[in-house]
Amino acid sequence: MNSNSTFQPVLIMLFLALILQFIPLSGDWVFWKPNFLLLMMIAWMLYFPDQYGIEFAVIMGIFADFIFLSTLGYHILIFSICGLILIFFHRIVVYLQLVHRVTLVFLMILLVEFMRAAIDNALDKPLFIEDILALAVISAICWIPLDKVVGHFYSLHK
Amino acid sequence: MTLDTYTSLFESTKSDISKVTIPLQLLANFPYRVKEWVGMSTTARTKLEQKNVSLEKERLILLGQLQRSAELAAENLRLRQLLNATELLMQSVLVTEVIGVSPNPVNHNVTVDRGSEDGVYIGQPVLDADGLMGQVVEVYENYSKVLLITDLNHALPVQVLRNGLRSIVEGISDYNEMSLRFVSPTVDIEEGDKLVSSGLGGRFPMGYPVGSVASINQRPGEKFMQIKVTPSAKLDRSRHLLLVFTLKNGDVTRDINE
Repeated sequence: MNSNSTFQPVLIMLFLALILQFIPLSGDWVFWKPNFLLLMMIAWMLYFPDQYGIEFAVIMGIFADFIFLSTLGYHILIFSICGLILIFFHRIVVYLQLVHRVTLVFLMILLVEFMRAAIDNALDKPLFIEDILALAVISAICWIPLDKVVGHFYSLHK
Repeated sequence: MTLDTYTSLFESTKSDISKVTIPLQLLANFPYRVKEWVGMSTTARTKLEQKNVSLEKERLILLGQLQRSAELAAENLRLRQLLNATELLMQSVLVTEVIGVSPNPVNHNVTVDRGSEDGVYIGQPVLDADGLMGQVVEVYENYSKVLLITDLNHALPVQVLRNGLRSIVEGISDYNEMSLRFVSPTVDIEEGDKLVSSGLGGRFPMGYPVGSVASINQRPGEKFMQIKVTPSAKLDRSRHLLLVFTLKNGDVTRDINE
């Protein structure tokens, strides 16, 4: 597998993820908008763990910190922990069916949001834990097309 | 994280990167603009005529109210002159449109399509049709970033319209709720009381609606009451905003009304 051949799709998907991230929403949708950067990172790390390892998670974390204007290190920490979990489980995960991968993403988003709440609590910031479940469900739904696209690249490069 | 929390080492880098993201925000806003354009193009003529009639009526009512307010403003000016007040403030506004919203639900800021070329400056108050929205915190050539009053890092001096009681309203990262600080249990404040900017601190002009008291909670043994405030402005919905230019008395050479 050549990393250059997936670099272009990663860049395009990163661009699309950023556009989706910046779409203005109002009401509860503000809290229900999935973290598209995180979903994208999970997708590429899940299917291409040899090319997109923990460094990719750290870079995406730095990127997210600047995009979300959060404390530098906040997303790096969250994305890195996610990346470590993916690396640990990727041999099993790659053989799972779509429904299982969707469940995995759902659980992963729940974990991320609880981590985020724990960090926010430590930094004395307000917590928004009441929307976590809705966010995880919406993220899992958004995962399906993403899984199809990255899965397609995986089958091309196999 | 510690470095970024306690120092401002990365502030300039963050500011530069947020400048780069403005075209992305414009792109993300594109579907809304298309929707708006399609809505405008497909609206029936009769509907537009009805809207025009109702807007004309509304304009007449507002003009009537404006005459009364102009009379009051003139009276206020005369009284202030009698009292030898040094700071007589006049305000003009510039209409602006929201072109981007922070992707982080905890950070309450928006990007607007006016910048230093239009005379926008840091600290400038921003309003919507219903009340105070926030203040300008970053200015670029054609864009500016506005920190909303509901942001966690925002506090605003206010007074109760009914009795002039002064306090501070703080954002809690919730578009529908703010917190009124340092109000002792003995003061005269009720649910439904309107809050306006007090003008203290010199950043926001006096008298703009900020919100109304939604709930008052007094916990035994606590020095201050827990008061929740509902903002007047539609912070997560308003798209057209007003940038307020505060001019000192007599300094009206800049004609920035649009």
